[in-house]
Amino acid sequence: MTDIKDTNIHFHQELEELERKVLSMVDRAEQMVEMAVQAVTNDDVDLARRVVELDGGIDATYMEVHQDWTTLMARNQPLGSDLRRMTILIQLNVTFERMGDQCVNIAKIAQLNHGLPRVERICEQIREMGDLVRPMIRTAIEAYVRGDVDEARLLPAMDQPVDRLNANMYKETVAVGSNPQLLEWATKMLMVSRALERIGDQAVDFGEQTAYLMTGERAEFDEDGMARPIDDHHNI
Amino acid sequence: MTNETSTENKIDNVIEERMTIEPDQTGEAVPAVAEAPGVIETKDMSVFYGDFRAVADVSLNFGRNQISALIGPSGCGKSTVLRSLNRMNDLVATARTEGEVHYHGQNIYAEGVDPVEVRRTIGMVFQKPNPFPKSIHDNIAWGAKVNGFKGSKTDMADLVQEALEAAALWDEVKDKLQESGYSLSGGQQQRLCIARAIATKPDVILMDEPCSALDPIATLRIEELMLELKENYSIIIVTHNMQQAARVSDKTAFFNVKLNDTGMRTGRLVEYSPTEQLFTSPNEKDTEDYITGRFG
Repeated sequence: MTDIKDTNIHFHQELEELERKVLSMVDRAEQMVEMAVQAVTNDDVDLARRVVELDGGIDATYMEVHQDWTTLMARNQPLGSDLRRMTILIQLNVTFERMGDQCVNIAKIAQLNHGLPRVERICEQIREMGDLVRPMIRTAIEAYVRGDVDEARLLPAMDQPVDRLNANMYKETVAVGSNPQLLEWATKMLMVSRALERIGDQAVDFGEQTAYLMTGERAEFDEDGMARPIDDHHNI
Repeated sequence: MTNETSTENKIDNVIEERMTIEPDQTGEAVPAVAEAPGVIETKDMSVFYGDFRAVADVSLNFGRNQISALIGPSGCGKSTVLRSLNRMNDLVATARTEGEVHYHGQNIYAEGVDPVEVRRTIGMVFQKPNPFPKSIHDNIAWGAKVNGFKGSKTDMADLVQEALEAAALWDEVKDKLQESGYSLSGGQQQRLCIARAIATKPDVILMDEPCSALDPIATLRIEELMLELKENYSIIIVTHNMQQAARVSDKTAFFNVKLNDTGMRTGRLVEYSPTEQLFTSPNEKDTEDYITGRFG
C-alpha cells in the first residue's frame, strides 16, 4: 500500500487540459480589463474595438469548455476532489465569460462616450479601480494554481477599496453639475464603475471556489476572508 | 426438546427486543439531528479463516430503514463483513468471528441464538441470481414453507402475490406463475430472489453485489426497487460499483486492505460517512485516493 498509483491517468490528464483551458480565459480577461479601462479613460475607440474582438476568443473557449466538461462528466462520473474540481471549473467557466462581458460593456461605453466632454477626476478614479481589480484577478488565479487558501482569503480585503470607490462614484456623478453632455458621460462612467466592482466580486468568488476545492466545505468569505457557511449568509 | 425451547425463548427475546426499542423508550425527546436508530451494530468485529484474519476491528452501526453500502477494493473484507451480519460465515468450516454483532441490541453470536432464525430475519440476496429449479410460484412458496408458513392455500397465494409485488415483479409474471424460475431474464430472476427473501418476512436484507451479473437497465430496476424496499426494510449492500453506492445508499463504509507486520493482508474499515459526504469530500485520504482512482 506504499506506492499509490494513478489508475485513472487518462481522465486526470484530460481534467488538467480542461483546467488549462479555463485558466487561459482568466489571463485574457485580466488583459481585457486593462485595455477596457484605458480605452474608456483615454477615449480610445480603437482599443475599445480590440476589447470586443478579444471577447470573441473568450466566448469560443467558453463553448469549448462547456462541451469538454459535459463529455468528461458523461465518460468518467468523477468523485471526491475530482468531482469538486469539475464543479469549480464549470462555475469558473461562467465567471470568466462574465468578466469578459463586463469588459465588453466598458468598451462599448468607451465607444458611446467618444467625443463627449469628460471629468479627469472621474477618469482617475476609474483607473484606480482598474489598478485595484487586476491584482485581485492575479491573486485569485495564483491562489487557485497553488491551492493556497490563505492567499485566497486576502481577496475580500482587496475588494473593499473597490467597493468604496464604486460607492463614491454616485457622489462624483451628481457633482458634475447640469451640463447634459457631461451628465450623460458621467452616468455612463457610473456603469463602468459598476462593471469593475462586479469583476472584483467575481475575483472574490474565484477565491471562494479555491477554498471549497481545498477544504471540501462550501462557504462565502466575510470581509476578513474567513469562511461563512452559505446558510448563515442568507440569514444576515 | 429442552434445547429447542431455549432457542425459541432466545428468539422471542430478540423479537421482544425489536418491539421495545423505540425512540421514545427513555421518555426523552429525540434530538432533531439524531442518528437514525441502528438495526445492526458490529463491535470490534474480526473475521478469521483459519489463522488468516480477513478483516479486523470493524465497528459499524447500520441504520434502520436505510440503505448502507460497503465498498472497497477486492480482498478488503467487505463481503466477509456482510456474511458475518447474518452468520452466513458459520457455513464455512474454518471461519470464526470475534467481537460482537448486535441485532436490535442482541448479540447474534451469543450462545443459544439459532443461526437459521437469524438468517430468516436478516435475509441475503446473492451476486448471481440463484432461483430454485422450481416454478416462479414455488420459488417463493417453498422458502416460506421451510420457514414455518402454515396458512391456507389462499393465504399462500396472497403471500406470493405480496412478495412479487414488493419485488416489482408481479405484473411481469402474474400470468405464468407455474413456469420455471429459470424462464425469466437475469434481472427478473434477481427480483424473484428478492421476492423470495421478502416472503420469509425479514427485517434486514443483505445484498452481495446483487447487480454485478445484470445489464444497466435491469440494474436500475433493482436500484429503484431497493429505494422502495427501504420504506419497510433495512438494506446493507456490498457493491463494486461506486456509482451504484452513490445512487442508492444513505451511508457508505469504505474498506481497504492493509499489510500487517508479518506481511498479511487484512481488511479494515477506513471511513463510514453519509454517502454524499464520502463521495464529495471524504474525511480520509485513503478514501479520496480510492474514489479518484489513485490506488496502491
